[in-house]
Amino acid sequence: MTEKKELEASSVEEEPRIGVYVCHCGLNIAGSVDCEAVAKFAATLPHVVLAQDNRYTCSDQGQEGIKKDIKERKLNRVVVASCSPRLHEPTFRKACEDAGLNKYLFEMANIREHCSWVHLYDRASGTEKAKDLVKMAVAKAALLEPAEEIEVPINRKALVIGGGVAGIQAALDLADTGYKVYLVEKEPSIGGMMARIDKTFPTMDCSICILAPKMSDVGHHPNIELLANSEVAEVKGHIGNFTAKVLRKPRYVTKDCSACGECIKVCPIVAPNEFDVGLATRHAIYTPFAQAVPATYIIDMNLCLNKEGVVVCDKCMKACERNAIKYEAKPETVELEVGTIVVATGADVFDPSVLPNYGYGKFMNVITSLEFERLINAGGPSHGHLLRPSDMQIPKRVTFIQCVGSRSDKNGKLYCSNVCCMNTIKDSLLIKEHWPDTEIYVFYVDIRAYGKGFEDLYQRARKAGVKFIRGLPAEIKEDKRTRNLWLFGENTLQNELYKVNVDMAILSVGLEARKDSEVIQRLLTLSRNQDGFFLEAHPKLRPVDAATGGIFFAGCAEGPKDIKDSVTQASAAAARAGILMAKGKVTVEAITPITFSDKCTACGLCTKVCPYNAITLNKDLKRVSIIEAACGGCGTCAAECPFGALTQSHFTDKQILAQVDAVTECDADKKVVAFCCNWCSYAGADFAGVSRMQYPPNVRIIRTMCSGRVSPKFVERAFARGAAAVMVTGCHLGDCHYINANYQTQKRVEKLWKKMEQNGLRKDRLQLLWASAAEGEKFANKAREMKGIVESVTSEEIEKARKVFEKALKND
Amino acid sequence: MIMPERIKHEPLDSKDAKRPKAEIHLIKDQCKGCGYCIEFCPKKVFEESTEINARGVHPPKVVDEDKCILCDFCTTVCPDFAVFVVERKDSEDKKT
Repeated sequence: MTEKKELEASSVEEEPRIGVYVCHCGLNIAGSVDCEAVAKFAATLPHVVLAQDNRYTCSDQGQEGIKKDIKERKLNRVVVASCSPRLHEPTFRKACEDAGLNKYLFEMANIREHCSWVHLYDRASGTEKAKDLVKMAVAKAALLEPAEEIEVPINRKALVIGGGVAGIQAALDLADTGYKVYLVEKEPSIGGMMARIDKTFPTMDCSICILAPKMSDVGHHPNIELLANSEVAEVKGHIGNFTAKVLRKPRYVTKDCSACGECIKVCPIVAPNEFDVGLATRHAIYTPFAQAVPATYIIDMNLCLNKEGVVVCDKCMKACERNAIKYEAKPETVELEVGTIVVATGADVFDPSVLPNYGYGKFMNVITSLEFERLINAGGPSHGHLLRPSDMQIPKRVTFIQCVGSRSDKNGKLYCSNVCCMNTIKDSLLIKEHWPDTEIYVFYVDIRAYGKGFEDLYQRARKAGVKFIRGLPAEIKEDKRTRNLWLFGENTLQNELYKVNVDMAILSVGLEARKDSEVIQRLLTLSRNQDGFFLEAHPKLRPVDAATGGIFFAGCAEGPKDIKDSVTQASAAAARAGILMAKGKVTVEAITPITFSDKCTACGLCTKVCPYNAITLNKDLKRVSIIEAACGGCGTCAAECPFGALTQSHFTDKQILAQVDAVTECDADKKVVAFCCNWCSYAGADFAGVSRMQYPPNVRIIRTMCSGRVSPKFVERAFARGAAAVMVTGCHLGDCHYINANYQTQKRVEKLWKKMEQNGLRKDRLQLLWASAAEGEKFANKAREMKGIVESVTSEEIEKARKVFEKALKND
Repeated sequence: MIMPERIKHEPLDSKDAKRPKAEIHLIKDQCKGCGYCIEFCPKKVFEESTEINARGVHPPKVVDEDKCILCDFCTTVCPDFAVFVVERKDSEDKKT
């Protein structure tokens, strides 16, 4: 831990020499922005010694050009106007570093996602906006300071949350690499969904036969500590140095258990077994399935008679030859120190009882695909005989209904669950294999057989006589006497109605985000998409990384996927975590606070708003000190300080005010100054760009790491300089990348609203928007709404705001 | 049987699940009416009866013998050795 040195008066004494590069990005930018005109305009800006436009600035050639200019033209600042800094800032920073320029002397103007792609059909306005964006970047660049990054050591231990096939694979890969792994599983045994499935597609391997050896490897691996029947209760710290508290719920059976099963014979309590989706019974003392790891039995204390320390029944204890029963066991909390975390918490299956037209839960012979897996499984309740629940007979006519809970926002979730089509095809072949004369109907929307070997399997099913009918049944009705089912619907390929009589219907249920995802999200400060699955740092190029450093995703926690994809992703997550741990250290971005102790009054406000407790107050010395390794870099302390005694490195007050000034230099009364946080709203605006959502071109976005960085004086300055409107945007409350810093944003905006109201200003000129990285449409809609507000603001109102916030024009 | 919320079908083997059948014996005149058996039975098999025994108190009566799971806790808590439970023989089971 280091204490930040105070900023020296002027660390860069030489006059700024800025080089500006305007990228065409092929036609992505040049298609709707006149890049040549933007470059010409840039050349007229103060401190700019060189301005040019190129086809692809990110190409090797483009980068070489920058390096050459830094050396030959003695550039000491570089501005690239191209795509989002979320995409290529690292690329250009690297190029600057290669040429000997500190990477913090580089700045980007986002004229693709925030300009050309959202103003495709308005070249004139697009070009004007691009000029403004470049002007803002140049204004900031002139004030950039070089900075050094500090190094944080990485603890070479990993925590894997979730023991399904993805968690198992990630844990094994990490452990085999040589790192200590803690695998935490909520259920009594690892194995997850895959352990319940009978066969896997497209190879028709026996699921548990290929999984059980891996489970057993986990149990025996010297580098893996398995914490089953346990839950992560708290996670603190940051990349490389997390402290996780894990609640180990008691099994009430010690490791001395030899899994002989004598206790089961005497336990008087009988209940449905969750592992078999309730299709088989278990006792209060039980093991979920034969291959469970750990094999140690467990007592379900919700069912056992021995509650609150009173031993009512000791039958299992008497039956246990190894004295492994311990009714008095207590839960314990273990504290784990880890460097990286893999989130492999999996998914839930859709509950079709919310769809009344299919009668699940009402008609005995309507079952889900997961229940089917247990029925067709030789280790399941019917020993592999497909029995229909009403009369325990093998059905002659069976139907599968696809997309139950998927691809419909009315009846479930809008997305495709990826696995159900192939699962049904596999299941239909399994029935044909055992009982070739069974008539099978599959009602589908589309058959999605996209993977390796999938189409072959589909064709095999068709050849085996499985009838595929397009068009889901509208309703299922039950024959009260025979318990047979009537399906009514429309065959949309032949435009005719059908009425089919079957013995049993299997609902091919989709996957959905786990109910408890919210807990993990909160513990690890992650983001989720609108479907509830965890959001990766970049959908294409960082598909297994979380936006929070040191955390990785594997399996269905990130989105529905089959076993192969889960395993692939798990290995990728393990490799990504392994890279961090192999290096043993990570550099922290130099965006930590800078203190000016002469202005500090030791009021302690900054220490209260810091989400990481990274600021300590020394009242005697009248100053604060920063623990940089703990600092997340949100900058909310800098926004809170009323005395200007704190600012954020690389996002200093001066730099941001310079950007505000650049926007408001001309036509301020037609513009919206928008502050966007790097993780949610800026990414959301990027997403609007990538999706080509068109919105009015009067919005100018200033990027901060967190909306908590937005100091009231930035907003006041914008109004004082005549801006028509201001937007402060950030992550949804509760989703803040910096734990809770955006609550400060809300507080500050509310204060500003109050001030505006008191001074007779229209409140709607200052807008607060919470938009996630997935909510591009929300951002675009807000921008459209802002257009109306801007148009309605009169010149008198602008003047009034100028006067009210006059004080903000002064620079401290 | 307690059915968890998401479980919609009765277990296929619920009829075959091994449930010992109990035969509860009350020695009514030995009871002093303390009510421990009624209070502590985990399956709530007993209830106070209206009859009066030799000691002038209301002894318990068996409400539902099928609910008994033979845990023997009533025998353990009874201060007067007035109750004991044995497993009903299979042959008798078939008769009923």
